[in-house]
Amino acid sequence: MTRRNNNLPEIYRSALASALVVTVLSGCGGGSSSETPDRPPPVPAPSSPAPEPPPVELSAASIAAASRFTSQATFGLAYEDILSVASAGHASWLEAQFEQAPTYHTPIVQDLLARRARGEFEAFEEDVELLVNFRRYSWWHHAITAEDEVRQRIALALSEILVVSDQVDALLLAPRSLSTYYDLLLDGAFGNFRDLLHNVALHPAMGLYLSHVNNAKADPASNRFPDENFARELMQLFSIGLFELNNDGSERLAADGLPIATYNNADIREFAKIFTGLSWGGEGAFFGNTQANFVSTMQMFDEFHEPGEKRLLNGLVVPAGQSGLEDIAAAIDNLFNHPNTGLFIGRQLIQRLVTSNPSSAYIDRVASAFNDNGAGVRGDMRAVVRAILFDPEAETPLDPNRAGKLRSPMVRNVAMLRQLQVQSSDGFFFHSGFLLQFLTGQSPLSAPSVFNFYLPNHRPTGPLAAAELVAPELQITNSTTIAGITNLIDIGVNGEFFLDGQPPLGQVTVDFTELEALAVDPAALVERLDLTFTFGAMSQGTQELIIDIIEDLADNNLRVKTALYITLTSPDYAVRI
Amino acid sequence: MINRRRFMTQLSHSCALGTTAVTASSAVLQLGLARTAAAATLPSVGDYRALVCILLAGGNDSFNMIVPNDSDQYGEYASLRGDLALPQDSLLPLPGTTASGRQYAVHPGMPEVQSLYGAGDLAFIANVGTLIEPVDAAAVAAGARIPLGIASHADQIAQWQTAQPDTRSAQGWGGRMADLLAGANQANGISMNISLAGTNVFQAGNSTTEYAITPDGDGAVGIIGYNDGSDFEAFRRRTVDGMLAVQHSNLLRREYANRLRQSIDSQAIFTAALAGTSPLASAFSDNPFSASLQQIARTIAARDALGACRQTFFVLVGGWDHHDEVLANQARMLPVISHGLQEFRDALAELSVLDSVTTFTSSDFGRTLSSNGRGSDHGWGGHHMVMGGAVNGGEIYGEYPILSASAPLDIGRGVYIPTLSVDSYFAELALWLGVAPSNLDQVLPNVRRFYSPESAQAPLGFLTL
Repeated sequence: MTRRNNNLPEIYRSALASALVVTVLSGCGGGSSSETPDRPPPVPAPSSPAPEPPPVELSAASIAAASRFTSQATFGLAYEDILSVASAGHASWLEAQFEQAPTYHTPIVQDLLARRARGEFEAFEEDVELLVNFRRYSWWHHAITAEDEVRQRIALALSEILVVSDQVDALLLAPRSLSTYYDLLLDGAFGNFRDLLHNVALHPAMGLYLSHVNNAKADPASNRFPDENFARELMQLFSIGLFELNNDGSERLAADGLPIATYNNADIREFAKIFTGLSWGGEGAFFGNTQANFVSTMQMFDEFHEPGEKRLLNGLVVPAGQSGLEDIAAAIDNLFNHPNTGLFIGRQLIQRLVTSNPSSAYIDRVASAFNDNGAGVRGDMRAVVRAILFDPEAETPLDPNRAGKLRSPMVRNVAMLRQLQVQSSDGFFFHSGFLLQFLTGQSPLSAPSVFNFYLPNHRPTGPLAAAELVAPELQITNSTTIAGITNLIDIGVNGEFFLDGQPPLGQVTVDFTELEALAVDPAALVERLDLTFTFGAMSQGTQELIIDIIEDLADNNLRVKTALYITLTSPDYAVRI
Repeated sequence: MINRRRFMTQLSHSCALGTTAVTASSAVLQLGLARTAAAATLPSVGDYRALVCILLAGGNDSFNMIVPNDSDQYGEYASLRGDLALPQDSLLPLPGTTASGRQYAVHPGMPEVQSLYGAGDLAFIANVGTLIEPVDAAAVAAGARIPLGIASHADQIAQWQTAQPDTRSAQGWGGRMADLLAGANQANGISMNISLAGTNVFQAGNSTTEYAITPDGDGAVGIIGYNDGSDFEAFRRRTVDGMLAVQHSNLLRREYANRLRQSIDSQAIFTAALAGTSPLASAFSDNPFSASLQQIARTIAARDALGACRQTFFVLVGGWDHHDEVLANQARMLPVISHGLQEFRDALAELSVLDSVTTFTSSDFGRTLSSNGRGSDHGWGGHHMVMGGAVNGGEIYGEYPILSASAPLDIGRGVYIPTLSVDSYFAELALWLGVAPSNLDQVLPNVRRFYSPESAQAPLGFLTL
């Protein structure tokens, strides 16, 4: 432990100690890396496409614009990667991102499992945490290093809408359950939303999470009926929402002034019938199998599928006698084609990537891209992503005082790692995100419920409610977690955050040499941090404060750390306008 | 920033002193001052009282928490529940019979609840739920107004906290109580509403937000180096205070800066107050629920140092959405609740505040009596517990439904329409905490559909008002 740790409150010291136990244990596998030929190749981090040497003439304004754009499109890029986006042009860079092959998470989990099977982790076979962390390692490694950085960012946004969570033991202890689910989201990020929804419905992690795996047809004699869980959330959260929407995303009101429900309990019961007959897939599958299989798509067993017709939404009648999978396809189409879906999903994606309070016109434009990509295709996610990121409102807020969003703790954490260009000596980041979750309650694919970490309409009381603004991320920002994220950044800026790289694992370090050279001139350092983290919009007061404080420090390393601490914990950075 | 000497003078505040003159530059203190000014119009609230809300998130299957125990109703229960029925010989009988001559029993994993009930410290509230107006199955079938998003987790868990099932609101009845009562407390930035589960709807009011604490340590998390006697404290304070002094015009940035400032200011007060309490002799189990109750007991022990006359506490226990494995899961989870309640009761007795603290449960909804083959689905009415020295315990309030395959309250699959609204349940708790009858509809906007605040009768009678 370094000197600074002695100053940590007890609560952190114990958290750090626990994090150390987990990571040091896993480190014993990492230490024998040279003897494991099928491990993932070392990846330098962060590894954006090797930039062309940037043209000399990039203006500060164009760098700031690229910084702003990539803060929406990715987890955040390091300074030189921002320069290369500015050189390439936003649109052509995004098109190149679309063509980039997905960096899947499951291969890393497979590799770790294989190494475990070979006995590399033998001394720790009793250690459950190790298994728990495999999926998390794959997530953080790719979040820090993957070259398909837009796809990774969109997948996280989708994971906050199509929610499954490792807060369920069965998923926590089966690392491939959620890595294969995440890979599905990576495919869906640039695919078609209809396929994404269909794949989600048949994925075993969702089958377990919302309990439609081994969901049998009704048996009225024993007063037993299909499970309604997935049917309800599929409509309420994954596609159409509770109330009919106007084209601008506002709720349609009936003559009595009340919103119009999109479905009622009878509709839920009809949809519940659709999702009967599914069990675990794979070899030797049978209905009612209690042996989970998280790597094969769920399999339909028609004799356990509810026969008879089903009356779905907007007058659609699914005829009796279809196979279970035909029924499911019809139900997914029914919801995919509902006029709400583009509005409901589009607004939430805008909220994740750009702003908590998009104008109705912005929502309308994104939903229109969802409804028709210009070539008559509905649900084209590339068109949706383009519409979100290249909207005039994403580039220039209508009202800067009401615009923007609070960055979530998990995105702040990844952004820091990426933008500070942390390095791992063996190219792999054994990072669990444990400390983040301990301090802020948030971790990717670990929401407390299917309602995600926060609700899209969370409206804090006080000035925000008075201004009729919502701020989802503020729902998890209380006196405990706001101190937690501030301290996490403190620990990270001081290098202690990277303790996941304790020997014998590859050592994770951050190199401040370039920033230290800039720190000789405090104003130059602030300008660089401003362009990198706050795209040239850091408030005058914060800039002056940083300069004022670091001018008193003789040591350039301390100047860098202090300037980074203020920048990354400031309201200027926490809320991206 | 807040000056320490001022803290010390505030700590001498007691409930009997009423309003205290303080001046402050901090926005947190100014908010408190505004409340203190409002306190001039408050009824005198007397000594300390607190409500502890335990939210069983996900929808506890409470028809297996309290079960009919006379032979005919147990028989109906067993046939309706099928593979979800608990064997009758495993149930723990509650003493006595109800006014209608019925007998009930509790889940086999809840012996402490059985004994608390027997000792008169705990009561059940039967078949309570969200209602816009009193309805029966015929009225529901005929299209009577029922809560928005009935059986939807997000809506029902929110409505149990807002008591407004006809609208979607971000304000809870605990928050609205604090809007009225918090002026009785010291204005020190620590809300009357203290949460062990972070931000929640129940405790959010118009001018109130919760103060979130953790179950471990002295509860409140501080900024490293700011307030911990470290060798760089002066430097860290210059940095952080300077950063938070910067003015922002963006509303979200302002809100973020205010929350960080408030976190820093109130942490100093809170940790000092908890560190100053004597260790509790009463033991608590090593699980998050018991740890939360222990931290609440410590906070109550520090009530004078915190200047608190009225408080609410919020604890959330998740994982009750048992579409699957309801029997095994409840057998694991209900004992944690039962045991924790007993431990908390013992600690309150040790602190001599048993009569001043009332603990109650809530949950999204009850569940279907019928099985889906492995568990139960979302229902409506359910059963709840109230514990405390002020509780007229050993009774079941409200009407436990007569179970049958053709029950008039059953709207399908054994989803029972509540015969008691959450408004009546909460009205009794709010009046006990000190909300004046004339202010009751500020806390519970729909209460008059179920109870007249002018009535000489208590809403249900489970508390001595």
